[in-house]
Amino acid sequence: MAKVRTDSDLCKGCRLCVGACPKNAIEPLKEVNKKGYEIIRVNEELCIGCGQCYKICPDYVFTIE
Amino acid sequence: MAKTYKKPEMIGQQVGWCPGCGHGIIQRLIAECCEELGMAEKTIQVVDIACAYWSIDTLNCDGIAGPHGRCAAVATGIKNVYPDSNVYVHAGDGCSYVIGLAETCYAAQRNVPITMIVVNNGVFGMTGGQMCAATTLVGDKTVSSKAGRDADVAGEPFDMLNVIKSYNIAYAARGALYDPKHIDAVKRMLKKGFENQRDKKGFSIIEILSPCPTNWKLSPVDAMKKIKEENEKVFPLKVYVDNGGEING
Repeated sequence: MAKVRTDSDLCKGCRLCVGACPKNAIEPLKEVNKKGYEIIRVNEELCIGCGQCYKICPDYVFTIE
Repeated sequence: MAKTYKKPEMIGQQVGWCPGCGHGIIQRLIAECCEELGMAEKTIQVVDIACAYWSIDTLNCDGIAGPHGRCAAVATGIKNVYPDSNVYVHAGDGCSYVIGLAETCYAAQRNVPITMIVVNNGVFGMTGGQMCAATTLVGDKTVSSKAGRDADVAGEPFDMLNVIKSYNIAYAARGALYDPKHIDAVKRMLKKGFENQRDKKGFSIIEILSPCPTNWKLSPVDAMKKIKEENEKVFPLKVYVDNGGEING
C-alpha cells in the first residue's frame, strides 16, 4: 500500500494540494512551521497514493512510496 | 503496484519562489524529464535575471544567467560550443516576448536545437508586477495599469506562438498548470522538447500558463482558477507545430 510522507518544513501554505486531493484526505491546519507558513496534514487512512498532491505541490513537500 | 513519487535528485535544496508559484512545478517537471531521458549530467540551464533565476541555485546542474531578455542568444552560443549538451532556457514572458523578442524570434528563425520554456504568468513578476505588453489580459490590474489594462491605450495581448509557428521550427505548444491532468500534459510537452533537442530536430518552444498569486493579488487557489477561466480563453492550450513525430511517454 502506498504511503505518503510530508516534509512540513518545505511547505509554504499555498493549499493547492487540498483542492487537488480526490479523497479529501489533506487537511489544512492553523499550525505553522518554523518559517511561519500554515502547514497541512494527510489523513493516511483516506490516502490512496494517487500522487495528485505530489504533482501540484510547487515545493516538493510530498513523497509517495 | 503503487507508483512511487519522489523529488528528483537534480533538485538540491529548497526553492525560493512565493507560495503557490508555478515555477516550482515547472522546475520539477524539467528535472524529471532530464533524469528520465538520462540527460541530467549534460544539462546546461540558461535562466533569466527574473523569477527563473532561483532555479540556478536549486537545480544541481550547470547553468548561466543571461542578460535580461537575451537567454535565447546565450543558449545559442552554448549550443554551438557544446553541441552534445542539453541546453534549455527557463524564462518568463517578459523576457521572451517583450524585452527579448528579437532573440527569441531569431533563435527560432535559425532553428537552433534548444528547448525554450516560457513561463507565461501575465506580469513582470520579479520587478513588482508591471503590465506585460504581450500577455497581460485586458482589464487586469497591475502596478503600471492601475485601472486595469485599457485596450485603447496599451493594445490587446497577443498569442506569440502564432508568430513563432510561422518559422521553420520543430515544436511549439502551450500547456497550463491548473490541475494535475494538465501538469502531466505539460510534462509530455517538455519531454518532447528535450527529445527534439537530443535528436537534433530543431528549435522547440513550450509556453506554460502559470499563476503569479503575489502580483495578481489572489490566493494561490484563486490564481489557478483565473488561469482556467480567463487566461486559457485568450491563450488556447494546444500544439501549434509538431515536426518531430509522435509524443511518447
